[in-house]
Amino acid sequence: MENKQSSSPASFIGSTVIPGDVVLDLSSMANQTIKLGDGLREDRDAISAMKAGTLRCKKPNKYRIESCQKRYVPCAGDTVLGIVVDSKRDDFLIDIKGPALAFLPVLAFEGGTRRNIPKFEVGTLLYLRVVKAKFGMNPELSCTDAHGKAAEFGLLKDGYMFETSTGLSRKLLSSPTCPVLESLGKKLPFEIAVGLNGRVWVNAASPHTIIAAANAIMNSES
Amino acid sequence: MEVDREDGRSQNQLRPLACSRSILHRAHGSASWSQGDTKVLAAVYGPRAGTKKNENPEKACIEVIWKPKTGQIGKLEKEYEMILKRTLQSICILTVNPNTTTSVMIQVVNDDGALLPSAINAACMALVDAGIPMRHLAVAICCCVARSGLVILDPTKLEEQKMKAFAYLVFPNLVHSVLPEGSPSVQGEPIENGIITSVTHGTMSVDDYFYCLERGRAASTKLSDFLRRNLQQQPTNSSKAG
Repeated sequence: MENKQSSSPASFIGSTVIPGDVVLDLSSMANQTIKLGDGLREDRDAISAMKAGTLRCKKPNKYRIESCQKRYVPCAGDTVLGIVVDSKRDDFLIDIKGPALAFLPVLAFEGGTRRNIPKFEVGTLLYLRVVKAKFGMNPELSCTDAHGKAAEFGLLKDGYMFETSTGLSRKLLSSPTCPVLESLGKKLPFEIAVGLNGRVWVNAASPHTIIAAANAIMNSES
Repeated sequence: MEVDREDGRSQNQLRPLACSRSILHRAHGSASWSQGDTKVLAAVYGPRAGTKKNENPEKACIEVIWKPKTGQIGKLEKEYEMILKRTLQSICILTVNPNTTTSVMIQVVNDDGALLPSAINAACMALVDAGIPMRHLAVAICCCVARSGLVILDPTKLEEQKMKAFAYLVFPNLVHSVLPEGSPSVQGEPIENGIITSVTHGTMSVDDYFYCLERGRAASTKLSDFLRRNLQQQPTNSSKAG
């Protein structure tokens, strides 16, 4: 029987890890600050993986596990597509496919005051930005960018929304432009909104075009 | 001592394993696990907001629903649900998503011996597929003791019925580590020497039980390898191993 414990590669960065794998040895990195992203946890003197996926490192000190899931882990700064579930006095309750419902303050719109609160019905689709996503608290959303401008956030009218995995959403939003979107754009005129939480909205002049574009994107997931 | 098993396997040989992940479209995570003719399908939904009434809201809650192949749900199914729930609670990190519920549905497709270990393996793979944070994986195996004192692994249903006693054992998987001294340890012992769950039926002597543990632990390394290889492939492929 091979001795698995002797096979410790210099680093796991870029390779697939499974839950439990110890990926970073903290005792060899004293006096450094490292930032742990999604999927990693601190376990005594080392960092171990909680999910299965590829370990990625963004220089100089950010580590995370990139994996493709159907559910979303809210992260501050992400743009997502949310569906209104309920409305309270001070905020709307939005479902963003995460472990908890998110709050959208009623005033988080460009030029929003108590007098011009938008009326969103249950089931409305919105393009939003995640402002805060702290542990233990419901995430907070906003319909403005960091400077307070509307910047295309808000209600998405007409069109068709479908769900994908978070991996496909990330691929669609990557730069340079994803080859699927580029080649689709040369053939069909359509507009698209992609949420990092695995929701995609497509709109075009005719239902035929919408269905073609949506099917092409859904089938592009290998 | 040579043993004559019906399908020609040796004492410690496992049946062919097959595992596919992401097979159900609507479930957030799913896996199908088969050991020989025993096949189990597991689906995971969650984490969803809210916990049940008697559960601690500071932790995530795992609920298990076991659906047998035929017949109504009875005490045996409830017992399996409880064993699975306790096992999964000890491998999942419950503090990451407080006040949420993760539902695990187990559907028995075919029962040909070692049903509960197959279900535990399937549930573990489905949880990985759904991205639920876990401490490590769980590897389950069935060992049985024959009337002659012989210990065999992974029995079929016929073999199980002829045995004096059998034990379902669940071990943590082998982890790869960048640490120079190998895998992390708890109180001086490496994690692989631990045990998560042990369910026994029938009577066996203490020595027999320890021998089962030893055999089961040796077989769990093979299962660990299989799990690792399966997870390193792309999600929508199915994989087979002997």
